[in-house]
Amino acid sequence: MNLKKPALILTAIVCCGALLAACGSDDLANEGVAVSDPWTRITAPTATTGAVYMDLESADGDRLVSASVPSGVAGKVEVHETVTNGESMDSGEMGDATEGDAMEGDAMEGGMEGDAMMGMREMKDGLELPAGEEISLEPGSYHVMLLELQAPIVEGDTIPVTLMFEKAGEVQVDAEARDAES
Amino acid sequence: MAGSRSERSPMRGSRLLVVLVAAVSALVIAGCSSDGYPGDLNGMTRQPQTEVGNVLLPNENAKSSNATGSLKGDGDGLMLVYFGFTNCPDVCPTTLADLRLALEDIDPEQRDRIQVGMVTVDPQRDNAEVLNGYLGFFFPEEQFSSFITNDKAKLAEVEKIFGASHRIGKKQPDGGYDVDHSALLYAVDSDGVVEVEWPFGTTAEDMRSDIEQLLDRRADQSSS
Repeated sequence: MNLKKPALILTAIVCCGALLAACGSDDLANEGVAVSDPWTRITAPTATTGAVYMDLESADGDRLVSASVPSGVAGKVEVHETVTNGESMDSGEMGDATEGDAMEGDAMEGGMEGDAMMGMREMKDGLELPAGEEISLEPGSYHVMLLELQAPIVEGDTIPVTLMFEKAGEVQVDAEARDAES
Repeated sequence: MAGSRSERSPMRGSRLLVVLVAAVSALVIAGCSSDGYPGDLNGMTRQPQTEVGNVLLPNENAKSSNATGSLKGDGDGLMLVYFGFTNCPDVCPTTLADLRLALEDIDPEQRDRIQVGMVTVDPQRDNAEVLNGYLGFFFPEEQFSSFITNDKAKLAEVEKIFGASHRIGKKQPDGGYDVDHSALLYAVDSDGVVEVEWPFGTTAEDMRSDIEQLLDRRADQSSS
């Protein structure tokens, strides 16, 4: 009388089945990422960088890991965040700034909040999309940065941008070239 | 308004707060002041106002009407000064695009009294051709000045006058680098007084309204 083996096997099957069922239902519930109003600003003829903006929302939560555009548009694409007074963020990213150093304490001596320096930080870990929250990539904030621009972006252009999300995978959108936000 | 020089250590949180509150209060008071300021300007005005004096910078735009490289407005006009760099993907193009929008909506007669001057904080990459091409994209060629100097001390001197600053970032393997910089737009009249300054994010509408007010005020003063 040996019931243990079949019982174990049965248990294993039931467990796997339950797990698979659970995974399956997760997949069904994940509706991916909603991308709205993707646009890019037209660039000056001598500019070598550009920016793509859009609104993102993921019902279940996700992360924008990277993005790409055709090589004929730009050589490199990164996800960036414009920050104010960048030294409070990942220290060391600005490295040994030996050139153009503002004299220490100047930003405060002037006494004006607006004097604070603005800069960009690459979001190497990507951009988190909390579940159900709309995240805006917009001027002065998050943006997909285009580097090594191969040609100026002009009005009428549409730039195909492939977004890579941790869960949703690849999503392609067309960014409309505009001279202003609206 | 010199800070306390004897304080070598970074300000503590509470002192920082006091300074900020004081600064903001000063700005609020300045904004409410009826000292010849009938309207409300959307931008900020320092107390006392910055005076740029007779400082000059090389103007690499040969088509510009600003032959001397002055940072002041002309006659009854204004010079709008911006510190930035052309490799900037987000902040600079946004501000200049908003400024262009603002100027497009202004009366042509008033628009003629406006000059735009950009001081590059990245002269290593922004030479005359690059900066002229860049500014020419936003403004008519007679209307802008391309201020470029490789003299770091000179650049620092001019920045200090305005309260601007920048920091060149670490060079990346591919030779590129970021530049952090203060992102205000300053309106300077022909006396060299900074009448108003707009922080990053100021809308085209707000800039336009301030410019018109300042020009009206100036015209009234000239005719009286």
